[in-house]
Amino acid sequence: MAAASLLSPHFLLNPKLSIQTSASKFPIPKSRSTPRTRVFSATFSDPFVLQIAETLEDSLSSSSSSSSSSSSSSSSSSLLLQKLRDASSQTVLSTAWPSRKDESFRFTDTSLIRYSQVTPISHPPPSIAISIDTQFPNISIVDGHIVNSLSNLSQLPTGVFVGSLSSLSSETISKRVSEFVANFEGDLFWSLNGLGTPDLVVVYVPAGCRVEMPLHIMYHSVEGGDIGSKKLPVSNPRVLVLVEEGGEIGVIEEYVGGGENKCYWANAVTEVVIGEGAKVKHSYIQSQSLSAAHIKWTSVQQGSSSSYELIEVSTGGKLSRHNVNIQQVGPDTVTELSTFHLSVGDQTQDLHSKLVLDHPRGYSRQLHKCIVAHSLGQAVFDGNIKVNRYAQQTDAGQLTRSLLLEPRATVNVKPNLQIIADNVKCSHGAAISDLEENQLFYFLARGIDSETARKALIFSFGGEVIERLPYSLIRKKVETQIKALLEPTLKGSP
Amino acid sequence: MVSALEMAQFCCACSSQSSPLTFIPNSSFNFRSFTCSTTRFLSIGTSSRRPLSLTANLASVHSAEASGVDRRDKKILLEVKDLTAVISESKQQILNGVNLLVCEGDGADEVTAVYIVHAVMGKNGSGKSTFSKVLVGHPDYEVTGGTVEFKGENLLEMDPEERSLAGLFMSFQSPIEIPGVSNIDFLNMAYNARRRKLGLPELGPIEFYGYISPKLDIVNMKTDFLNRNVNEGFSGGERKRNEILQLAVLGADLAILDEIDSGLDVDALKDVAKAVNSLFNLTNSVLIITHYLRLLEYIKPTYIHIMEGGKIVKTGDISMAKVLEQEGYKAISKA
Repeated sequence: MAAASLLSPHFLLNPKLSIQTSASKFPIPKSRSTPRTRVFSATFSDPFVLQIAETLEDSLSSSSSSSSSSSSSSSSSSLLLQKLRDASSQTVLSTAWPSRKDESFRFTDTSLIRYSQVTPISHPPPSIAISIDTQFPNISIVDGHIVNSLSNLSQLPTGVFVGSLSSLSSETISKRVSEFVANFEGDLFWSLNGLGTPDLVVVYVPAGCRVEMPLHIMYHSVEGGDIGSKKLPVSNPRVLVLVEEGGEIGVIEEYVGGGENKCYWANAVTEVVIGEGAKVKHSYIQSQSLSAAHIKWTSVQQGSSSSYELIEVSTGGKLSRHNVNIQQVGPDTVTELSTFHLSVGDQTQDLHSKLVLDHPRGYSRQLHKCIVAHSLGQAVFDGNIKVNRYAQQTDAGQLTRSLLLEPRATVNVKPNLQIIADNVKCSHGAAISDLEENQLFYFLARGIDSETARKALIFSFGGEVIERLPYSLIRKKVETQIKALLEPTLKGSP
Repeated sequence: MVSALEMAQFCCACSSQSSPLTFIPNSSFNFRSFTCSTTRFLSIGTSSRRPLSLTANLASVHSAEASGVDRRDKKILLEVKDLTAVISESKQQILNGVNLLVCEGDGADEVTAVYIVHAVMGKNGSGKSTFSKVLVGHPDYEVTGGTVEFKGENLLEMDPEERSLAGLFMSFQSPIEIPGVSNIDFLNMAYNARRRKLGLPELGPIEFYGYISPKLDIVNMKTDFLNRNVNEGFSGGERKRNEILQLAVLGADLAILDEIDSGLDVDALKDVAKAVNSLFNLTNSVLIITHYLRLLEYIKPTYIHIMEGGKIVKTGDISMAKVLEQEGYKAISKA
């Protein structure tokens, strides 16, 4: 019988048990073109998870059968995707849907997804009326599918590849990509993405190449159910950013779509592999529909002397969860995380980050700020830093500040450092408060009324993170967005 | 005329006695023979607390100049009567009946114009800063008695922002940082609040920048300073100069400078003093709270008040300051 762990009383398969295909409750569909051995045991799997897995697989097989014949290059890519899907399948079927008794979902309520009818979006919408307003080289992913007609990659230097795995023709890049596909284990959502992603977007930066202009990846969510319909279309975009030694690139990921009333589930994964001495500046802006679910994984692997900077501004989504996992694979790394979460409505903004240091002299700073401006709003932060035995002379700092502006607004913060090495400098701090009296008084003493003062101070609270966004156009866009979001809440406040 | 002169002669300071007006015991004033015909008698006997519209002539305190200057009517700017206050949290009494009178400056023309500078000095813990904070309306302190009238209106009933818009400016002793709000945005907000009050259209950022650029020269600061966040990463001197810049931009009828000289080096002090001096015209007045004489050498005080134990115990002119410097506060309180 499965080992019941303390944390999860649900069924968990003991991996040593042999698993056979058996006559399951759910019949294998016959429209599949490539037969696969499905490895699962119905009695031990969570039925809801199973159901999602089924529908994802079905939609993939139906879309691949209806698409045109593949060329030789795409066969290697389809092999890679197959490998990914198989590995994900195994994990999915042995993982239960997270409940409040799982530590990592203790404060996060996933019932928005759990009690909806999840349907995969197998094709991007036929006619797409999306405006692309960016001056940077960009690529658009609509409902999880790459849309080349909306992309403009002309300004990228030679040697840099940005595109879907199936359109990748270079053997070398393909080989490199295959080293990283399916070698990290995230949680159930990670695996669901692996199972259901239609294609992998690869961003490859060759050694020594400094990409001047950042790559702007725009994720649009178009299809969505109306509120109350319980329909939740799911998209699984997946991106792999592979930067070889000495390469440098900025990546902007922007998630938009649907206005306030569209319900959908964006289940995204971004993997970043940073070679020795390479640098990646990652900006992540999430402003999806206020009725949607947004679950994102960012998994980073940092080679020695590499630098990774993440700046996140998340304002959308009824349920928004960002999982960040950074693994150090060499010494002397620099990691800077700055995140800003804003809940203006009945929203949950969740950041679960984990930084694993196994090599010496790593430097990291994490700043997390969140504002909860609604009495039903919630923010969750779990910041884990593991300084393992060989990570001597690590300098790690973490600070989280939360602003609660309404009664009954909730914030749950859990900064945690697990330190085994003995020659390190680590610090963490957390503060939850309302606006500072002294600062408010300074405004009053200069004739500025209380409401204007509050507005300015609330906006400036997030400003500390927003001003770290490296591109001024993006920064201005985000600033306008935040101002507009904060405006109606402040009219109601005393 | 002479008797009227005697009656009319008073100075803007009071002792701890209950009568609102007394003469300064041992200062030497120069009597001027007034030719102005608008001298009127003060009604000293009024025990009511109505605002006195003082129209009598003040004796000039600056002995060196302005003989026979045509004096015009003086208006009261600030009148503090028996002000008592406690710390809101602990209810500990800090102010024990402060009495102070600040009038507008006088002077017939620009050449001989003088403006009224009051200096408040005292030992640490005597209540000087508390006094200024109470005037500005800081929530840490609660007024338990007395009245304060500013330009004829009851100051204690006004909210802090109303007090500021009425023309009362206080420069803080330790200005706090406001990370995330830039100097220019902050000044723009405050300036527009004033414009709104006067019924004038508000200034947008570009027009405001045009208005504010020349003011930067007054405090000897560069333009890049405007884009920095309010007091963030500023040295002590820069913070104080920022306060004066705010004063220059917003204007005030009465400016209270709370220890503007603390933490300033010699050059910064000169800059600040020069800036303050250049900002005032006839109707404005300054209340400086300080420990040291240095600043008073640049901004010449009309009156010096000594504060002790939460009240003003003595008032004099610059000569008193010299005594203070040489012999300390004990010499003053004894005399």
